[in-house]
Amino acid sequence: MAASFGRLLKPWKSSLCFVRWSRYNPYYLDPDPSKDAHSVPESDLSPEQKELRELKTVRPIKAALSSATSSPFDDPVISKFINMMMQDGNKILARGIVTQTLETMKRRQVEKYHKSPPNKREDIECNPYAIFHQALENCKPIIGLASIQKGGKFYQVPVPLTDNRKRFLAMKWMITECRDNKHRRTHMYEKLSQELLAAFSNEGNVVKRKHDLHKMAEANRAYAHYRWW
Amino acid sequence: MAMKSGYVIQEKVAKLLSKQQGRPVLRPIKPLALKNEVANRRLRKGEATCVTEMSLVMACWKQNDFNNTVCSKEVSAFYTCVEKTQAQNKASRKQGGQGRLLPKEATVLLKRYPNLSGDI
Repeated sequence: MAASFGRLLKPWKSSLCFVRWSRYNPYYLDPDPSKDAHSVPESDLSPEQKELRELKTVRPIKAALSSATSSPFDDPVISKFINMMMQDGNKILARGIVTQTLETMKRRQVEKYHKSPPNKREDIECNPYAIFHQALENCKPIIGLASIQKGGKFYQVPVPLTDNRKRFLAMKWMITECRDNKHRRTHMYEKLSQELLAAFSNEGNVVKRKHDLHKMAEANRAYAHYRWW
Repeated sequence: MAMKSGYVIQEKVAKLLSKQQGRPVLRPIKPLALKNEVANRRLRKGEATCVTEMSLVMACWKQNDFNNTVCSKEVSAFYTCVEKTQAQNKASRKQGGQGRLLPKEATVLLKRYPNLSGDI
């Protein structure tokens, strides 16, 4: 219904508006802060990408978030993780914790690298971002459970999950596990780095929680037909 | 019939409301007028998709103690099935009834030419 979207773009008039529930008009396009997307020459683009570029010259674009940068170190997964860790809007603290976590992971892996014999050195992953991504992948569940009502009772039905939901669950489990189940005198970055390194090698409590979910889904596989989507 | 239909309907409604022929059949609380919108609902209840792939994944898990690296083939088959069904659902939702209007389109048209109830 693109025709109706254009009609919503009325010229701005000065008046009161409620900010708390305000949203962008769906006519606005998402910004792309990475430099690579714009440095590709015209000839290398597919027809859909060319169309998208032409559309971007015509349509208005939303303002970029202050956490989005055009640097090559900008990682959307890590940004999402920082936002999920943030409490009371203290982004500086959350970002500091995650930076310290990455540094701790790197230090541990480099120590392990130097202590290991030369033939085993190639297997040790030292890039903290790669470790983070792999650990998160290992924590993502494949099948989730949904509470579906049938005949007055609620059943836990195994259900396929979307990518966003999987990522959210993996991050949520990681953060809650580090906050609740560890010794209270350790720093958050230490707890996180321990848990991430364990998840990288498919051990630890978060991966165990994922396996528990899979076991529940497997036990309830008889109810799979209660889904309607 | 199309020209006469409005008049015929009004006569029938008047007969249903009248007290002349014993008790009235209808005793309406709200005015007998249609709303300017159509309800947004799907008639057919769908069925569970990708159940076979899911059962294959679960069988593989049971055999190999929930090891995902060993079951990667079944898992990727499951993911492809899920993506396919999602794409199918999206396509069918945009298709719109084969001759019937979608509920949203019908609502837009009715709002343009509404049934006026009350004074202007």
